[in-house]
Amino acid sequence: MENSGKEIIVTENVKKYYKEEDIVVKAVRGIDLTIESGEFAAVVGPSGSGKTTFLNVISGLDTPTEGKIWLSGKMLSEMSGKELSDLRRDRIGFIFQAYNLIPVLTVEENIEYVMLLQGVPKEKRHEKVVQILEEIGMKGMEKRFPPKISGGQQQRVAIARAMVSQPELILADEPTANLDQATGGELLDMMRGLNRKTGMTFLFSTHDRMVMERADRVITLKDGKIDKDDRKA
Amino acid sequence: MWFDIKLAWRNIFRNKRRTFIAGTAIGVGLAAMIFTDALMIGMKDNMIRSATKSFLGEGQIHREGFRLTQEVEKTINNLDGIISRLEKEEVVERFSLRAVTFGMITSPSNVSSIMFYGVQPSSERHLSQIDDVMKEGDYFKGEQEREMIIGSDLAEILEVGIGDRTVITVSQAETGDLVQEMFRVSGIYQFKVKEMDTGMAFVRLPKAQDMLGIGSDVHEIAIKFEDIHFATKEDNPFWSRYSIDGNEAVSWATLLPQLKAILGIFWISLLVMGIILFGIVAFGIVNNLFMSLYERMFEFGVIRAIGTRPSGVRRLILLEAGALSILSIILGIILGFLITLIFVNTGIDYRGIEIAGTSIHELLYPVIHIQQYIIYPIAVFAFTLLIGLYPAIVASKMSISGALRKSL
Repeated sequence: MENSGKEIIVTENVKKYYKEEDIVVKAVRGIDLTIESGEFAAVVGPSGSGKTTFLNVISGLDTPTEGKIWLSGKMLSEMSGKELSDLRRDRIGFIFQAYNLIPVLTVEENIEYVMLLQGVPKEKRHEKVVQILEEIGMKGMEKRFPPKISGGQQQRVAIARAMVSQPELILADEPTANLDQATGGELLDMMRGLNRKTGMTFLFSTHDRMVMERADRVITLKDGKIDKDDRKA
Repeated sequence: MWFDIKLAWRNIFRNKRRTFIAGTAIGVGLAAMIFTDALMIGMKDNMIRSATKSFLGEGQIHREGFRLTQEVEKTINNLDGIISRLEKEEVVERFSLRAVTFGMITSPSNVSSIMFYGVQPSSERHLSQIDDVMKEGDYFKGEQEREMIIGSDLAEILEVGIGDRTVITVSQAETGDLVQEMFRVSGIYQFKVKEMDTGMAFVRLPKAQDMLGIGSDVHEIAIKFEDIHFATKEDNPFWSRYSIDGNEAVSWATLLPQLKAILGIFWISLLVMGIILFGIVAFGIVNNLFMSLYERMFEFGVIRAIGTRPSGVRRLILLEAGALSILSIILGIILGFLITLIFVNTGIDYRGIEIAGTSIHELLYPVIHIQQYIIYPIAVFAFTLLIGLYPAIVASKMSISGALRKSL
């Protein structure tokens, strides 16, 4: 599926400063960016360039020091904490570095967690879990606990958890950082395929070359600002 | 909710050793509360029994004002009517009549002031314990009207033994004339309570009535009830029913205010102990929950990021506190019951110890009450949830991005 042209994320002069041991760290220094629906984009840059901070700010996990952010047309600064929680639950899927599953919940329970928060009935949840496990190639592993499966499989489950409620946007913060190249590449291909199939927007924060190679758009941050914004033809 | 309960339950078993240690600490605290409560009830009952069974009785009837002045003339009014009513009272197990006055006892060697009692040996045997603590001689074994029982310390002061003669001097009712009679010491008792062992002498009731010139009247009716707790309540209607015709009926709590005060302090000490134990429990829970919270910061960041509201995080922490509390309560109840049961069977030996003028004569047995296994566990559960609020609020207010940075 190609870009629909609908704006998912719009940022206007977003800045994020925070204090670390009495020193003001200017992590994001004024970013204007628009991400459109269906994009498979990556925010890249060296460590400390502000990638993760930017992702946290645009997803409502953190508040900007300055600037405006619209997510699916809603301005984040006008939303309460409860509304932000609901927005993340219903419209954003998160994928973090490896080991971000709840270890005491089974694969099935981890995937259905967001649907539980949404109040989806049990039968419907189970049906969706079975369907998505099949899509990510983990059918029959519903009752396994995360520590009993490989890192690659854990990250597949995290992807399934992020996508199962069909959010508009998937934010993935260094999703391949703890994986070997083969597994990482395999997962990226899977996400690329899901992006094309479902039209969900993917925004990565990474310095992994494999992600950059697969992304349609690579936004390079340097010292908290956009240095380059390259779109593939 | 069911999912949250399942998650909380599994979470507390993530670090089994820590949960076991925290649960044991809380459980031992609860067991200690249960056992202490059982012990306090046992001690209270024991002290009341020791105080009332030795001689006092659980309640007494006198002529109004007699307790204050001990005047010989102040005998109980309408004695026959009271006796016939007491005989019909279902709550009364038995009662005994007594004549009481101040007197003087003289031996060839010494002289001492005493409380002179005329008693009915047959009924007194079941109401008081003098016959149980005989050190020498017998408790009114024969039919001799001049038999007298005295305490061991008094016998020592008078330098008398079994069969020795003593003279009792009392003043008669109405005239106030002094009367002297000779008695032979037929028995020496030892209560190990100073007042009783040095200051009392007992003769048969008819002889005392004759000496005091009170006919068949008496000064005191000592009562034993079917249930020891019946007499504990000072506002019991029983007392007002018999506080008529110029008489007054009072419970042991009125007769022994110092014992009542001591028993009041018991409950204060239980409260203080409860506060200390609950304080320890509180630190145990808070420590456990915070350790668990800081270990799982990233995880809390993740669940907040994917849409769990702050209230959901608070609920999860409180459920974990509740799950820990339930485990601890089960352990505490089992432990508390077993410890109490052991001492219910073996008893604790405090015999010979004197508290508030009451000497303990029996083994102390803790008393198991169902309330101990309801009130304290509920209190621990409620308290755990209350204490759990603190880490729950901290967890719900933490910065999501900060939490996500924790293990990155």
